[in-house]
Amino acid sequence: MEEKRHTSLHYEKELQEIKNSLIYLGALTEKAIQDAMKALSERNSEMANKIIKDDDDIDKLDTELEERCIRVLALRQPTAIDLRFITTAIKITGHLERIGDMAVNIAEKAIQLNQEPQLKPYIDLPRMTDLVTTMIKDSLDSFINNDLERAEKVRRMEEVIDDLNEQIFRELLTFMMEDSKSIHRALLIMQVSKNMERIADHTKGIADMVTYMITGENVRHQTREIS
Amino acid sequence: MDANMIISLHNVNFYYGPSRALNDISMDFPEKQVTALIGPSGCGKSTLLRLLNRMNDLIIGTRVEGKVLFEGKDIYDGHVDPVEIRRKIGMVFQKPNPFPKTIYNNIAYGPKLTGANAGDLDALVEQSLKQAVLWDEVKDVLNKSAMNLSGGQQQRLCIARALAMKPDVLLMDEPTSALDPISTAKIEELIEELKKNYTIIIVTHNMQQAARISDSTAFFYIGNLIEYNKTEKIFTNPDVKQTEDYITGRFG
Repeated sequence: MEEKRHTSLHYEKELQEIKNSLIYLGALTEKAIQDAMKALSERNSEMANKIIKDDDDIDKLDTELEERCIRVLALRQPTAIDLRFITTAIKITGHLERIGDMAVNIAEKAIQLNQEPQLKPYIDLPRMTDLVTTMIKDSLDSFINNDLERAEKVRRMEEVIDDLNEQIFRELLTFMMEDSKSIHRALLIMQVSKNMERIADHTKGIADMVTYMITGENVRHQTREIS
Repeated sequence: MDANMIISLHNVNFYYGPSRALNDISMDFPEKQVTALIGPSGCGKSTLLRLLNRMNDLIIGTRVEGKVLFEGKDIYDGHVDPVEIRRKIGMVFQKPNPFPKTIYNNIAYGPKLTGANAGDLDALVEQSLKQAVLWDEVKDVLNKSAMNLSGGQQQRLCIARALAMKPDVLLMDEPTSALDPISTAKIEELIEELKKNYTIIIVTHNMQQAARISDSTAFFYIGNLIEYNKTEKIFTNPDVKQTEDYITGRFG
């Protein structure tokens, strides 16, 4: 449902600016994840170093956003939907900042992996990357458009990522068993996969908060029925 | 709500002359809790408050329909004495309105009129002032005029005056709107304390105040009760869109 505007247009503007900054932060993290995967698949360590450096921007924006939300809490004393919006925004910025850290982790692993011959062609990891960037985008879209269904979609996708991660683990185990010289590289790739899986967890965290924002119901920590 | 309901309204309409100020209000007020009435000016919240101890009787041309039960008995029954009702259901107003008398006599005035034993008065004055957390500030100046007190002290004096009549319910009509933040905090603290022994119904324009001190909140709009819910629910996730628009400042 379209919300009526606040009587105070300044307040309205403050909330809109928080939304805009979150979208921008989301775009930065999406790009960081995509670039981290590229740095790995294209063996481009220069790109990896840039991701590590650019994470400062993500951290800075996260701090700014959090301060802005706290300012609204202190000065406007939001209630009801506005209160749920602000608490959700604070949580989302935290999740996005962590996603940025995951991109840094992946970039660091890429630099190490790029120093050795490539163990295997990367097939599932790019797929995972596409999925998690879609999840970041969908979780933020669900936030901006009050879209419960899209939040639910993110939660479902998170299970797909879990499965992919397990599949990658199993595959790498066979590499390690066959050739002990592959263990170091296989472990690094496992960590990349694990980082992707944690990014998916963060997008689910965002989706859960969006559901809370829209319905007032806390769905975090609810175990899903296995179908 | 498991609490005992001390006041119950059944299908109450209220008229100022031909114009209806309250439409078919039914609600219960739980005993020893704080209930806040909120809503924009003219929504009927103060009218409703005054109706609970028949203060509206004093305004010519008003009329009540429906039932207002206090401890199960209709306070608008023909044989009910409104003075007796107002003794049991006390009131504190927006502007502190002490009598132009000494602090002592402000408290003692009501009990004297209703035949309190002169020997008990000292104890009653002390007890009432202590309950209103004013005793320490005024115990040495009891015979000075109440008009010399600060606004916040005057308001606490008015609360002490109401308490001296040993009421069951205290009605408060924006009791802090004329006070500074520190005096306001003292009154709010006092309300928290008083609800252990009294039922408090408070009209306030200060939404944060309603959120801070009340257990339940009722939102009124042009004479209708729009939503009556636990305060926490009203301020985090109200059931009715109109309530949300009002408390988040999206009204009109």
